[in-house]
Amino acid sequence: MRVGLRIRSLLGVGALLLGLPSNSIAQATPTSSETRGRPGQSLAIVVNKSNPIEDLPYSELRKIFLGERSHWPSGRRIAVAMMDDGHPERQTVLRQIYRMDENGYREHFIKGVFRGDVFVAPKTLSSPIVMRKFVFNAPGGIGYLRSTDVDKSVKVLRVDGRLPDDKDYKLQIDDRAVE
Amino acid sequence: MEKRASSPHLAVIGPSQNISRYSFARFFSRHGSGLLLFMVLLAEAGVGAFVIRDVLASYGAVHDMYDGSVRGLRRVGELQYEAQETRRSTLYALTTNDGNLQVDYADQSREADRRVTQGIAEYTAQARTAEQNHLAHRLADDWKAYLKIRDDVLGLILENSPKEAVDLDLSSGVPLFDRVRQDLEEIKGFYDEQASQQLAAVDDASRRSVIKLVAALGFGLLFGSLAIWAIQKTKMRSTVQLARLQMDFVASVSHELRTPITAILSAGENVRDGMVKTREGLIEQGTIISDQANQLMELVDQVLLFAATAKGEVWHNLRTLQVSDIIDHALASTAGLLQQSAFTIEKCLEPGLPAVIGDLSVLSQCLQNLIVNAVKYSDKDRWIGLYARIDAVVGEVEINVQDRGPGIEYAEMAHIFDPFYRSPRVVTAQIHGTGLGLSIAKRGADACGGRLTVVSNIGAGCVFTLHLLVAAENLEMAPTTASGNESRS
Repeated sequence: MRVGLRIRSLLGVGALLLGLPSNSIAQATPTSSETRGRPGQSLAIVVNKSNPIEDLPYSELRKIFLGERSHWPSGRRIAVAMMDDGHPERQTVLRQIYRMDENGYREHFIKGVFRGDVFVAPKTLSSPIVMRKFVFNAPGGIGYLRSTDVDKSVKVLRVDGRLPDDKDYKLQIDDRAVE
Repeated sequence: MEKRASSPHLAVIGPSQNISRYSFARFFSRHGSGLLLFMVLLAEAGVGAFVIRDVLASYGAVHDMYDGSVRGLRRVGELQYEAQETRRSTLYALTTNDGNLQVDYADQSREADRRVTQGIAEYTAQARTAEQNHLAHRLADDWKAYLKIRDDVLGLILENSPKEAVDLDLSSGVPLFDRVRQDLEEIKGFYDEQASQQLAAVDDASRRSVIKLVAALGFGLLFGSLAIWAIQKTKMRSTVQLARLQMDFVASVSHELRTPITAILSAGENVRDGMVKTREGLIEQGTIISDQANQLMELVDQVLLFAATAKGEVWHNLRTLQVSDIIDHALASTAGLLQQSAFTIEKCLEPGLPAVIGDLSVLSQCLQNLIVNAVKYSDKDRWIGLYARIDAVVGEVEINVQDRGPGIEYAEMAHIFDPFYRSPRVVTAQIHGTGLGLSIAKRGADACGGRLTVVSNIGAGCVFTLHLLVAAENLEMAPTTASGNESRS
């Protein structure tokens, strides 16, 4: 019992240190219409335009998001960005890439950082606009955007050789997941 | 005509010499004060225009300085601030782990850098000298190099590599940013120097303007004072001259009055004292009294007529007149004098003379005064010519009164029409007169819309010409009632 309390409080402190979102913030953030697309829209994986990578296998993408890959082949450090709680895009990534819920996600990174398996937890950003600007400014940055939020400031990666508009593209947003 | 000269030179004043020293002297004596004031105003206006032009030039120099140097300095100041803002925002991103704030700072840094880049482009476009161009390009290159490092630093910060970001900033960012700052300082120094030079030029221009302004004011004051002094002196001289002339007039009139009065008194005393015993003697004394009384009446009439003309009141009644009527009236009025003085009158009227405009009594008086003058100042040759002709070009009838006296000296010409004027030589020669005859004649001619001019030939006599306007209804040469040549004694 006492060990369980310690682990919980430790997880809370770790969450603060890593800048992970609290539940209250997560509930307040996704209010703009920009974040509410139509059900079934594709989720694009975006990187900085200077990044030479064009295509990522799904398995490699998952390792990157899980923090198991720390550098790009060019030597540049990988900086993963996640949106705040409550965004359908975040739920989609958790479900389809991490294959975890929010608690599992937090636990994964806190434990990983403590164990040294993960160098740094993903940055948590408040909106798709900030996500786009982050990827634009960080040469090693990687994030995700609803395909309608993508512009020319970022590069969209193929996942398993498919772009978001292609048939059989794996990452599809389910807006109902938030509700 | 109060004065005749015996010098052999020729002095001619007439309608054919409108622009002559005589006319100018008369014009200046009448309008000298106005002319002087006009010249003062003209000079002041010129000086004012000169000063205004100078002030405008100074203003233009100040405007150029502001437009060039002051705005340039302000622009450089803004560039310095925005460059600092670019760097400051980058460094702020280092102070937080919050990804949202880091992106926000990166945004601010890019906004500031956009303004700096735009400012540098504007400066490059406005660069005029080779030195400015060189500076502008160097600044643009240095800024570009710094921005590349800034981008890398921002990337490292966002990639959670603050240590590497700090290392990169210290090793490359700081030196490159210092170069940018140096470039901006050089540009600022350039503008400072330019502003100093222009300020010195403006100082010089202002100093020159002040000197010119003081000189202009001094000149205006001096010129104005001189003009006032000259005007006062002229007026004073005129006043003194008028007073002298009036004193002379009083003396002359007194003398003229005293002579007939003395004769009348003597004749009266002779009768009273029984000195005259015969009927012939009584008739003789009566004739003396009558003649002298007539002379007194004429004198009084002249003075009253002059007084009437001097008041500026309407003393004439203009109507259409025949030239022959005017001449006949004047000759009839002076017949006694002419006969008594044994003068020969040569009268010649051009055939077909038109009617003229005037007052018969005024014009007759004018001619009478000219005839009396000719009688008074002719020497041995007792002859007077009276000629009338038409000047169709001007639309005037000219009546000439010519004598064979000594003529008028040039120096006298400017004054002969002045009231009360009598030549010192005439006074010395004890020729009686009031100095009003020619003045009244001229005023009479003027009042009828005509002119009175004189041509003098020293030693040969002079010709006074009365110019009269042709009546409008007679412009087609109306016939005269009397014409042709005539001589009588």
